[in-house]
Amino acid sequence: MSEVRIVSEQLDVLKICASVSDSMNGAICTFIGQTRNNARSREVAYLEYNAYVPMAEKQLKIISDEAEKRWGCSVVIHHRLGRVDPGEASVIVAVGSPHRGDGFEACRFCIDTLKKDVPIWKKETCPDGSFWIEGDEAINAD
Amino acid sequence: MKSESENAASEEPAHELQSIDFPSPDSIEHSRLMGAHMPTAGGLKLSLISGKKIGCTAIQLFTGSPRQWSHPPLKESDIRAFHEARAETGIEFTVAHDSYLINLAAPAADVLERSRDAFRGELDRAEVLAIPWVVTHMGAHLDQGEDEAIQRLIDSLKLILEETDTLGYSSGVALETTAGQGTGLGWRFEQIGRVLDGVGPHPRLGVCLDTCHIFVAGYDIRDEASYAATWAEFDKHIGIDKLKVIHANDAKKTLGSRVDRHEHIGEGEIGRDAFARLVTDPKLLHIPIILETPDSETMHEVNLQRLKRLASGGAMGVQISVQCFGHYTDVYGSDAREIRIQSGWTLTDLVKKLESEYASMSDLAARCRFAVNEEYSKLDTILQEGDVVAVIPPMSGG
Ligand SMILES: [Zn+2]
Ligand SMILES: [Zn+2]
Repeated sequence: MSEVRIVSEQLDVLKICASVSDSMNGAICTFIGQTRNNARSREVAYLEYNAYVPMAEKQLKIISDEAEKRWGCSVVIHHRLGRVDPGEASVIVAVGSPHRGDGFEACRFCIDTLKKDVPIWKKETCPDGSFWIEGDEAINAD
Repeated sequence: MKSESENAASEEPAHELQSIDFPSPDSIEHSRLMGAHMPTAGGLKLSLISGKKIGCTAIQLFTGSPRQWSHPPLKESDIRAFHEARAETGIEFTVAHDSYLINLAAPAADVLERSRDAFRGELDRAEVLAIPWVVTHMGAHLDQGEDEAIQRLIDSLKLILEETDTLGYSSGVALETTAGQGTGLGWRFEQIGRVLDGVGPHPRLGVCLDTCHIFVAGYDIRDEASYAATWAEFDKHIGIDKLKVIHANDAKKTLGSRVDRHEHIGEGEIGRDAFARLVTDPKLLHIPIILETPDSETMHEVNLQRLKRLASGGAMGVQISVQCFGHYTDVYGSDAREIRIQSGWTLTDLVKKLESEYASMSDLAARCRFAVNEEYSKLDTILQEGDVVAVIPPMSGG
């Protein structure tokens, strides 16, 4: 059973991995998205994540259920909201699977689809102002 | 939070909506007669009483057992009780459905005679109960020739209408569009047109349209174009002026399947949008609507509420809420806003409205996706009362 959460507190990598470490599984594959201190050759002070929470939860669930079905694995995805400082994890995808091949593929599918379909947006705060990030665009925030 | 968004919303050009005179919900209920086929077990009057309980302003009933040929005459006391219940409940429109056994086009002479007798009984009972229409299916040709069957049906109707004319009857016959199962007649509008032409114009001869039946018979009504095309066909072969009552049923089976299985409103192959269009169609507002959906005891009330909601959505516009995300929150705010739109508007119509009202939102259609009730939805989605719409620019999670 996949588990997805959108949370405001710091993500605990070990705890999330533990939740997919069934002894049936020979592999745990994780993706950790971490906040960079720079973007578009600008220094980034911190990020702020916003989401359409109820829909984002539904979409995460759709993605993780789909991955579990396709690769026969178990999937946990946690995404952070609110302020995230550079070096902190903003998202963790953990996939437990009998074999590593399926795990890698499922993990990649989850993060790629998440970026495309899950209604979450980041706003970068730089020394010279804030920017909404929408796909490839950075739009000056008020 | 709420007052903030309301204030912001009042800056928008809301005048166009305020200038429309919205009828109160009460007047809507009274203007459109709507109800369901109600049971009569325990007395005919119970169809009215139980109908009133679930909010009917129109009901359909069997005045005799639908699986019997002959019925003893109605008792004086039952007739009186029915009239009293009608006055008490205020139910304005009643319609009878005839026995399933009746085949006014039957090839066998004895069956034809029995059918005519039984149908005379249907009209007699309707007349004393002051029920204006008896809905009947057009019978079946039973593989003995369609043309001959249609002629027999014409003869039956002429005969019975003439007889009852001399008796001074007010109750008339409404031929129901059928599903086209087996050798049943009346599933093509042309067949009904031929019968109407054959009998000749008569004020007590009309038609009942059943949405499930026409749909499984092959007449699509699911989108605006097919809905318009089907009504054009109906008008061409039958005439909208002949329409006296509508049976509103969703369909379990597919378009053209010719299999008649009724489904709850909005849960079948026809779907909610078609019923929203039907109950708000200006040319049909004077036609009573009767539900014949399954699980009558528990679900008639629910299906009736659905129709009423769709109907009031049309008369009063549709209330939805719209929320924007990403950089659009800088102009629109991050809260959802209640917006009243016209009934029948699609996502495209809403997007155009937003684009024209906010200069910095003029690019919505080009770069955003849209969700209705937390699901990505296509731009031709028709918005319904209470829908929650989200404007979703390209995302950047992860
Ligand atoms: Zn019907
Ligand atoms: Zn039917």
